[in-house]
Amino acid sequence: MASDDDPASSSDLEASASAAAAAAAAAEEEEEEEEEEEDAAAEEEESETAEEAEYYFSDNDDAAEETVLDVLADGGEEECHWSVSSVRVITKESLLAAQREDLRKVMELLALREQHARTLLIHYRWDVERIFELLEVKGRERLFLEAGVSAIENKGRVLSSSPCPITCNVCFDEVPPSRVSEMDCGHCFCNECWTEHFIIKINDGQSRRITCMAPKCNAVCDEAIVRYLVSARHPEIADRFDRFLLESYIEDNNKVKWCPSVPHCGNAIRVKGDICCEVACACGIQFCFSCLSEAHSPCSCLMWELWIKKCQDESETVNWITVNTKHCPKCHKPVEKNGGCNLVACLCGQAFCWLCGGATGRDHTWSSISGHSCGRFKEDQEKRTEQARRNLYRYMHYHNRYKAHIDSLKQETNLKETIQGKISISENKESKIKDYSWVTNGLNRLFWSRRVLAYSYPFAFYMFGDELFKDEMTPQEREMKQNLFEDQQQQLEANVERLSSYLEKDFQDFSDDLVMDTMSRVINLSNVVDRLCKQMYQCIENDLLYPLRTTHNIAPYKSKGLEKPSEVSICWDSCQSSRSTRTCQEDRCPTSESTANGVAEKTVLGKRSEAQLQGSSSSNNGGYSSSSSSSSRKRDKIDARTGPTFDLNMPP
Amino acid sequence: MLDVSRVQKELAECNRDQAISGVGIALCDGGSDLSHLTGTISGPVATPYEGGTFRIDIRLPGGYPFEPPKMQFITKVWHPNISSQNGAICLDILKDQWSPALTLKTALLSVQALLSSPEPDDPQDAVVAQQYLRDHQTFIATARYWTETFAKRISVDIEEKVQKLVEMGFPEDLVRSTLKSVNGDENMALEKLCSS
Repeated sequence: MASDDDPASSSDLEASASAAAAAAAAAEEEEEEEEEEEDAAAEEEESETAEEAEYYFSDNDDAAEETVLDVLADGGEEECHWSVSSVRVITKESLLAAQREDLRKVMELLALREQHARTLLIHYRWDVERIFELLEVKGRERLFLEAGVSAIENKGRVLSSSPCPITCNVCFDEVPPSRVSEMDCGHCFCNECWTEHFIIKINDGQSRRITCMAPKCNAVCDEAIVRYLVSARHPEIADRFDRFLLESYIEDNNKVKWCPSVPHCGNAIRVKGDICCEVACACGIQFCFSCLSEAHSPCSCLMWELWIKKCQDESETVNWITVNTKHCPKCHKPVEKNGGCNLVACLCGQAFCWLCGGATGRDHTWSSISGHSCGRFKEDQEKRTEQARRNLYRYMHYHNRYKAHIDSLKQETNLKETIQGKISISENKESKIKDYSWVTNGLNRLFWSRRVLAYSYPFAFYMFGDELFKDEMTPQEREMKQNLFEDQQQQLEANVERLSSYLEKDFQDFSDDLVMDTMSRVINLSNVVDRLCKQMYQCIENDLLYPLRTTHNIAPYKSKGLEKPSEVSICWDSCQSSRSTRTCQEDRCPTSESTANGVAEKTVLGKRSEAQLQGSSSSNNGGYSSSSSSSSRKRDKIDARTGPTFDLNMPP
Repeated sequence: MLDVSRVQKELAECNRDQAISGVGIALCDGGSDLSHLTGTISGPVATPYEGGTFRIDIRLPGGYPFEPPKMQFITKVWHPNISSQNGAICLDILKDQWSPALTLKTALLSVQALLSSPEPDDPQDAVVAQQYLRDHQTFIATARYWTETFAKRISVDIEEKVQKLVEMGFPEDLVRSTLKSVNGDENMALEKLCSS
């Protein structure tokens, strides 16, 4: 959209001149109540929409400016939100550190050795909270028994000191006690047999749960013994065993998934709270954590799967087919006319009239078909072909708009470089305006909202189509909801285009006043667009998806875009890991002394980590992205609290 | 890489008390392959399988005893956990609950126990299991009939046939080997004996 044609710009000129003055003055008035201005802005917009239904543009400049300055001043606080981020990248190097936290919690609260904690965590899919829940319900004994942890130490018997040979119950050979190993469950067999057993289980992909060889014994074998015995014969299998154990944290964990990048970047992503979300990997790829395909919110995973399939099946040929074919009245396949008269025969044998698409007999001349007259209106056939055509048009309508926005997104990504150039020119100019972060922020807002807009089309295609929810809404209900949704979508679309047009302006050649004007508009529009996105999500989650019988979860709207997650750093929990390594070192040598200390240690550690747990959970609740409950209403509240956006990241 | 010494020990141990336990193991068809065996179990008392002798094909994988032996009924049997078609056995210790400390003897004893206590809720043969649950009387009758027909004939009938043919004037060992070569068919054996 060209700025000159903009109907709003001329009327807003006066207001924006005052905006510049306000900006300078407002520097002292940073400590304004945010809520107040938000309310003011909202009120203003309501009156605005009444007058100017086409645009959702607020020219309450004072309020907008203050918001902007507040945000600029609060840059430090924004940083804080980032560190609370619940999404983390796990690399090959940090995989061990990533599980330390969970291992440590379990080890401390249950006074377990590291390997037992791991067995427990693997069995309960690394769900620490569930383990503690079940501890309450089932009690310690049963919890351990089911997971295959032998908490009862049978180390009292000292095998190696007894001189008489022992009969191994697997190979039936008599072996000296030095060549026998005993597991925590108390069963002992000869080392040869154990090794054979371990190798077969590891090769069978059961590394994470190698149970004891005794019949009906559910105990999981001591990983240290497995490692020791197997590495003596096949070091490479022992390495594989270690890797399997380590990767269990990713494979057997609902909250961690491999990054779906191809070729694989080697990373995994961990989320906290609701796993229905979208994440970005350190390698740059953005994906839906639930279905691992590209980020597609506000489409649900099912919608997106159907849409992708439909697009692959139809998009390339769809245009050609509509232009060049007619549907056979019998088999409904598209038929192309490859020459001849207007009597066309489909491969299925049905003849039909090319003019009207109606079924006919085969007798014909160049000018007429016997017993057939196109002049007569035949409702039935007409209806059927009409239906097919309508379905196709409907799909094309949504697909074209989806594609248009995706294409715009691609073009606008190129804009980033151009704009960087403009910014550097402007910054070197003689001017009192030095901060051009509003341009990049506006640009990021544009990318993010453009993306939301693009994916809202496939969403609408399924939401208001017959394929998924035909029986869940009456036609009237559907029409009403569609109007509601499309109204929001339209407003968003108009404002996204406006934002785009302002960002394309050559602001480096502008006078200071004009730059201030553009700046206030970009900032304003960014806020409006953000709010509209939120509202559209609210509409989708609460008015459209919530009343449905089938659950369709969508990843929540993230005002800031997809956060580039920080890595699980080894130093991040170094203080904790050092302690836990110390604990496990102590545990590694199972002397009678350490077991005697076990009880006393347990209570101390237990108290401490309980406090830690509470601490971490409360900080979680305050954090920005802890939308742990799937309730969309709750989500909105949390999002609403986070204020205007700044650190948007680029789409891939 | 089958553990030959273990299998040999097992065979010796198992056949020592065959009369008491009711289970026995032999090399298949008198061959010398230790990985292919035939087990026999007697039908448990007070079940429709009582009095029958059931033969089970046993194949030992290379990883035995760390991998479970493969067992399958040769004798046809009517049981919810045993396929009436191919004799496949649905028994946890032959699959994921196998433990290297179990032996062929314990496995066969488990199969024997399975005969006396079917688990129709976890069926191998859905038809049999349904009958077991819905029409128990018919189930008992069918199982007994199958035992009579398939699990007894070989041992009982063969002796009768041998006796008959010996009375006709053929030497006993020749009669036995001929009968065996034609799978117990009396007429074919007679034909063969006459033509030789």
